[in-house]
Amino acid sequence: MPSGVGKEAVNNAGTSGSSPSFKPYRHLKTLEGHAAAISCVKFSNDGNLLASASVDKTMILWSGTSYSLIHRYEGHGSGVSDLAWSSDSHYTCSASDDCTLRIWDARAPYECLKVLRGHTNFVFCVNFNPPSNLIVSGSFDETIRIWEVKTGRCVRVIKAHSMPLTSVHFNRDGSLIVSGSHDGSCKIWDAKEGTCLKTLIDDKSPAVSFAKFSPNGKFILVATLDSTLKLSNYATGKFIKVYTGHTNKVFCITSAFSVTNGKYIVSGSEDNSVYLWDLQHKTILQRLQGHTDAVISVSCHPLHNEIASSANHLDKTIRIWKQDA
Amino acid sequence: MNAPIIDPLQGDFPEVIEEYLEHGVIKCVAFNHRGSLLAAGCADGSCVIWDFETRGIAKELRDNDCAAAITSVSWSKYGHRLLVSAADKSLTLWDVSTGEKIARTTLQQTPLHARLNPGLTSPSLCLACPLSSAPMIVDFEIGCTTLLPVYVPEMMPDVLLAPQQRSKCSESGPPFSPAAACFNKCGDLVYVGNAKGEILIVDYKSVKVLALVPVSGGSAVKNIVFSRNGKYLLTNSHDRIIRIYENLLPAKDVLRSLEDLGKNVDGGVDGVEKLKAVGSKCLTLFREFQDLVTKMHWKAPCFSGDGEWVVGGSACKGEHKIYIWDRAGHLVKILEGPKEALIDLAWHPVHPVIVSVSLTGLVYIWAKDYTENWSAFAPDFKELEENEEYVEREDEFDLMPETGKVKVSSVNEDEEVDIETVEKDAFSDSDMSVEELRYLPAEPIPDTNEEQDELKLIEARISASPASEEAGQNGHVADHTPSPLGEMGETRGKRKRKPSEKAMELQAEKAKSSKASGRTVREKSRAVGDQEIVDSVNGDDEDDVDAYY
Repeated sequence: MPSGVGKEAVNNAGTSGSSPSFKPYRHLKTLEGHAAAISCVKFSNDGNLLASASVDKTMILWSGTSYSLIHRYEGHGSGVSDLAWSSDSHYTCSASDDCTLRIWDARAPYECLKVLRGHTNFVFCVNFNPPSNLIVSGSFDETIRIWEVKTGRCVRVIKAHSMPLTSVHFNRDGSLIVSGSHDGSCKIWDAKEGTCLKTLIDDKSPAVSFAKFSPNGKFILVATLDSTLKLSNYATGKFIKVYTGHTNKVFCITSAFSVTNGKYIVSGSEDNSVYLWDLQHKTILQRLQGHTDAVISVSCHPLHNEIASSANHLDKTIRIWKQDA
Repeated sequence: MNAPIIDPLQGDFPEVIEEYLEHGVIKCVAFNHRGSLLAAGCADGSCVIWDFETRGIAKELRDNDCAAAITSVSWSKYGHRLLVSAADKSLTLWDVSTGEKIARTTLQQTPLHARLNPGLTSPSLCLACPLSSAPMIVDFEIGCTTLLPVYVPEMMPDVLLAPQQRSKCSESGPPFSPAAACFNKCGDLVYVGNAKGEILIVDYKSVKVLALVPVSGGSAVKNIVFSRNGKYLLTNSHDRIIRIYENLLPAKDVLRSLEDLGKNVDGGVDGVEKLKAVGSKCLTLFREFQDLVTKMHWKAPCFSGDGEWVVGGSACKGEHKIYIWDRAGHLVKILEGPKEALIDLAWHPVHPVIVSVSLTGLVYIWAKDYTENWSAFAPDFKELEENEEYVEREDEFDLMPETGKVKVSSVNEDEEVDIETVEKDAFSDSDMSVEELRYLPAEPIPDTNEEQDELKLIEARISASPASEEAGQNGHVADHTPSPLGEMGETRGKRKRKPSEKAMELQAEKAKSSKASGRTVREKSRAVGDQEIVDSVNGDDEDDVDAYY
């Protein structure tokens, strides 16, 4: 198996060039089950499960190996915008337009364990911290809230931005939170104290639609609604890589790091395809086509070379893509 | 990892009480290796472990056999085991992750102080310092206790002396006061401080005194503590002086070095003199701390996590004062808490946080007073320590700068980026084969139906209250100083899961500014003089609201 695009001189010419050692992804399966647009799809940390959240107010749990439907979670009063897995893959947390978050058990009997109330507007994004004793959520009420998993108590409220938040993520040791918002700024917060440590971007536009830390917590991947993905070394504050070619002007599309076989950046796009870039060379390695509407969310399997992608209203499916061996 | 962006200009010791924890009447506390968990022993014989990140209770260890007050708690090196000593003369060894008792033994006397061997990964060997007898090594596996020598009798020509397993009779010598003892960093030596004012270095396996260091002043040693890195030793003596010694012995293979030292001492020197000679090569006096003005006794002195600071609590009744010195000997801070005597103290291994236990059984958490760094709000601001002369470019003020000049991007976009490798943790010791128990898994406690309804009711009521937005308060205005808004300082108080409705109403009324959502303002309490900590009933809506822009 190739070790991915490495240090050898690769042809950088053209946006759709692919290096000879890159094995393309092929469509493996299409999962149907949601009645409306799917806002988020995520593999669990152990790779055994896949969860998807939708505007149809439900969340579906799929097997991460056979991709069969395991359970449909119902209970939210409005559409679900985001979901997150706990580190031990036992719990998921969903963020919904009914202003609450719900913690669900990913094991039988698949109960809703807790409802986290406190936000005053749509909850848009959610994530667990690595020890999974805290949950961070970002909302349209412009605040970040940190919740204690065990009791559901809201530990902290941070008045973070001046417009709805689009994305929140903990870093590797749970000491920092990165947040992105429609107000165009991307900020880093101290998770313990709730103080702002750094502002990465501060332009009024374009809106920051997605932000997350790299696996080692040193870099931040930021997506902005001008069809650009940037990788920033947040300690220096400089943007060291820029990935373009896709279309992202309206939706908060999630992107992911693919590290199982070669380092790629994976993102959905409003032109109905999934884009894969080479991390170092920034070239587009592949465009996965098949969805019939904008691809809103992507997730990379933690162990296998598989990608799950989900799309908007006209499509309503999840597609699984697998890399050739 | 955060070092580049956290402000390095702030001092590294706590300043104010951040909050307090409560669970029955706490008697003693101990942090685990990383400071992610805080274990505390209560007066009713149970132990509680807090998840220090969430400040919520992670586990409770309750032994039905033991109802006496806990006198000390001690973690094993990797956090898997907890040793608890209680007033009913028992020592109990717990497995932290399962919450099960591993072993229990009863001594002749109440151990004031018990420490697990820090060198072993799953220790069943511990050091116990009882109230009025020599410190002893207790081995749970074999089930035997070994008394350690506390004195080196002057008469003995030979170095070797091994008191037999005596029961209660004390050695001939001065009237007995409790001796203090501690393991060294790797756990193969025990340092004993006795009532004569001497530090004995004992090899507990052979029950042999290997060296002797007399403490100047000759007054009884009450506490003896090593710093985390094993380089410094602290003694607290009856003459109200805290002394810092530098440990000259190497970190590894200590027994051999001591043997070599013993051999290298001049021939003709024997017995006690030889021990003293060896001792002088093991420890040298570095600093002395005392309060010359009040001449107070110290309680629970210890080092900070990095060994840079020394902290001691004042043992005066009715006073909750914590003194912080830097290692060079300067008193840098005196923290004053509420008027309750201090009974235990612990410094967080990693962060500048101190935890102090008061006589009333509350655990106060002291932390730095965080103010926001204004340069955090704009991406390209850089904070300078002092004024820098600005040197302008050659053509900067030209009317018509060269158009052909392209600003060279200082960023090399082709550079390889590594998103996966993680730096080795500064706190992990070389032995990574054992996995450390850092956190106890947080299992969400399922909501009950009645709680849900009650919460909904409360929310409805709060949203109905009038929205008052006073200008200049901690509202949407860019005033981000979380200063106490006039009222008595409230700390995040008891963790009640079900707030009473009346309390929530009180909260809504008390709030200085609240939006229609009913977010209430929390004020940080400053421990200035005798400020009382008002007990605030806490509900799910008690938040920390800070405005950041």
